[in-house]
Amino acid sequence: MKKPLFLSALGLSLLAAGCANLQHSRNVADPAVPAKVLAEQVCSTCHGLDGNPVSPAFPRLAAQTPAYLTSQLNNFRGHGRSDPAGSEYMWGLSSHLTDEQIAGFAAYYAAQEAHRDPGAGKDAALLARGKDVFEKGVPEQNVMACATCHGPKAAGNDVFPRLAYQHADYIVKQLSVFQNTHGGRPGTPMAAIVFPLPEDAKEAVAAYLEAMPD
Amino acid sequence: MSRPEVPPLPLNIPGLRLMGQVLLLLVALFATQAQALPVYARQTGQNCLACHAGGQFPELTPYGRMFKMTGYTIGTRTEVPLSVMGVATDAFVANTNQGSVALANTDKNAQPVFAAGSVFLAGKISDNTGGFAQATYNNYDSQDPNGNSHGYLRSDNMDFRYADHLIDQERDLIYGVSLNNHPSVTDPWNTAAAWMQYVPAASTAAYQFADATTPFPQTAAPANTAGLTTYLFWNRHLYAEAGTYRTANGLLSLLSFNNTDAQTPHLAGGWNPYWRLAWSQEWGAHNLMVGASGMVAHLYDGNDTTSAANLGTARTSGLDMQYQYLLDPHTVTAQLVYNHQETQYSPATFAASPAAALTGVPAMDSTNLIRAKLSYVYEAKYGGSLAFFSSHGSANVQGLPDTKGYTWEAFFMPVQYVRVGLQFTGYQTYAGATTNYDGLGRSAGDNNTLMLYVWGAY
Ligand code: HEC
Ligand code: HEC
Repeated sequence: MKKPLFLSALGLSLLAAGCANLQHSRNVADPAVPAKVLAEQVCSTCHGLDGNPVSPAFPRLAAQTPAYLTSQLNNFRGHGRSDPAGSEYMWGLSSHLTDEQIAGFAAYYAAQEAHRDPGAGKDAALLARGKDVFEKGVPEQNVMACATCHGPKAAGNDVFPRLAYQHADYIVKQLSVFQNTHGGRPGTPMAAIVFPLPEDAKEAVAAYLEAMPD
Repeated sequence: MSRPEVPPLPLNIPGLRLMGQVLLLLVALFATQAQALPVYARQTGQNCLACHAGGQFPELTPYGRMFKMTGYTIGTRTEVPLSVMGVATDAFVANTNQGSVALANTDKNAQPVFAAGSVFLAGKISDNTGGFAQATYNNYDSQDPNGNSHGYLRSDNMDFRYADHLIDQERDLIYGVSLNNHPSVTDPWNTAAAWMQYVPAASTAAYQFADATTPFPQTAAPANTAGLTTYLFWNRHLYAEAGTYRTANGLLSLLSFNNTDAQTPHLAGGWNPYWRLAWSQEWGAHNLMVGASGMVAHLYDGNDTTSAANLGTARTSGLDMQYQYLLDPHTVTAQLVYNHQETQYSPATFAASPAAALTGVPAMDSTNLIRAKLSYVYEAKYGGSLAFFSSHGSANVQGLPDTKGYTWEAFFMPVQYVRVGLQFTGYQTYAGATTNYDGLGRSAGDNNTLMLYVWGAY
């Protein structure tokens, strides 16, 4: 290869440096970039293109209720949700989002179909216990039935988030966050509800929600 | 493998105290900034561990790899696209004598030193362009004939990219072009020759052993190169890259400043191809990569680039594999590299070697290298690793390259930009022998090195 090729490549990239490419932009601080573009270019690397991530390190967003998605993105942007993973991963990406972009994300993920992890729900005894907690609560500990708010099949409703097919690991982590007064998700009914929830019941209900048998 | 004896430590108490002070200072400095590259963290607003597995630099997570492949363009352009990194070390070499005199380059043994620092100019330039440019100042870069160390600032890894990501229901394709200064510096995985290393390593001339001189997965290129490569990543599975390298001169010499002198070999012409293929699979919290790479380099010995008698060829090829498990609070990484290099010497080098006087000795040598590393990090705070290395090769013209040993490390990250670590490298074989490898009575184990370090970045 000859030197001119190198130089023209260098020149080209300098030229490109000035340009914006709104349809393929990864700029989370540009209000002109549509939410769908950011969902594809940025969010998909962790949450999956359709909101169904491969890794349980990232929550499933597919089919989540728009009201809940909006509230969480607002909470990340305003630092109202400060659990460690929330601040480490989501504060920076959301800090410059506009209300319009947030509404766009909510509509985008709510319209996707949620998938169940193929490996979910192997332990029948755990599922049975989880179903019990979900549908009846833990009366002896004064824990309300989860289904009351999250819906009989955990499909969510308005501000009550969808939990069906969510990664069990993420659910257990959030329940611990709610149980901790300084956990970083204040101002929700969840803290009072799950405060007395025993550890084994957390694991069981999470396993049940992840599998959510038909 | 029989374990080399752990050396007795020449403990130097005042030294340790100074080290402690440096440590406290660094921790105080960084603890106030409670918020890999810090400039990238500022660009995305994310914590380092979003991109670096368990916060171990430079190892990347799947997201970190995508960030790199999409040309460092995720996030917002930062106002000051700069980062700095520094490392203070205190290293203890088992035996610093060679025959009846002190071994060269060990005058700072058992003393705490500010070893090296880097500046990075990095980040998003536009929606499609971004870069990574590192320059490193090595405080004990080289020694003069009187044994005094001199510091130098030299070009380090550089990578400027144009990239695009085509993604929708039907397809997912990232593609790009990179202008960079080292074969494999563009690679997203950390088993690539440019990236599989301990950071930091005891690399200063003041104590020349430890991981820095353990066999490195090689690429057949010196430090004064510039290359243009193009790559694609298809459906988060197939990665392919190809390009060519040349000597970085003229305008491109910015990519190699202070890395080019009369002794450094120079790439001949513009056709020194590098290639890379990898397959990546993600399932649950696991991800696995299996890949291969190679390079053919036409090299002039030194900087006389006119005479064909000075021209040789080096061919490298390798296989590599990396497994990661990433789910808070655990980070597990396993890496395995096999590398083969064949060097065809220039007629001049061969003629000057003792081999030329013998009959039937070919003007070439080959080296095989195996490296493996297993690491674990808990809560992105406490970590440790164990690595093995073994190189083995022919000695027609070169000296026996055989070197074999292991490194272990334990570290603690009080905050995300500071790491305090203890690293030990033990040698079973060094330069072809277990005992008396230098003819002056040194044995491989004499090079065993324990290093305490404080690493920080901002
Ligand atoms: C680097 C990986 C990463 C990227 C990129 C990313 N996220 Fe997240 N996201 C996370 C993690 C991790 C969490 C869980 C945080 C927690 O545990 O509090 C999360 C949580 C969320 C939640 C809350 C989910 C719930 O059930 O409460 C929403 C909504 C969200 N992200 C939207 C987005 C959007 C929109 C984008 C793109 C602008 C995005 N994320 C990009 C890692 C990421
Ligand atoms: C009184 C209504 C109510 C009941 C009963 C209730 N929840 Fe919730 N839950 C909520 C609301 C509201 C939120 C959203 C909190 C927020 O906005 O941060 C929530 C959030 C959650 C989340 C976090 C979801 C996410 O994506 O981050 C989990 C997990 C959860 N609930 C599990 C449970 C379980 C398990 C039970 C039963 C033991 C339960 N909830 C009972 C109202 C309820």
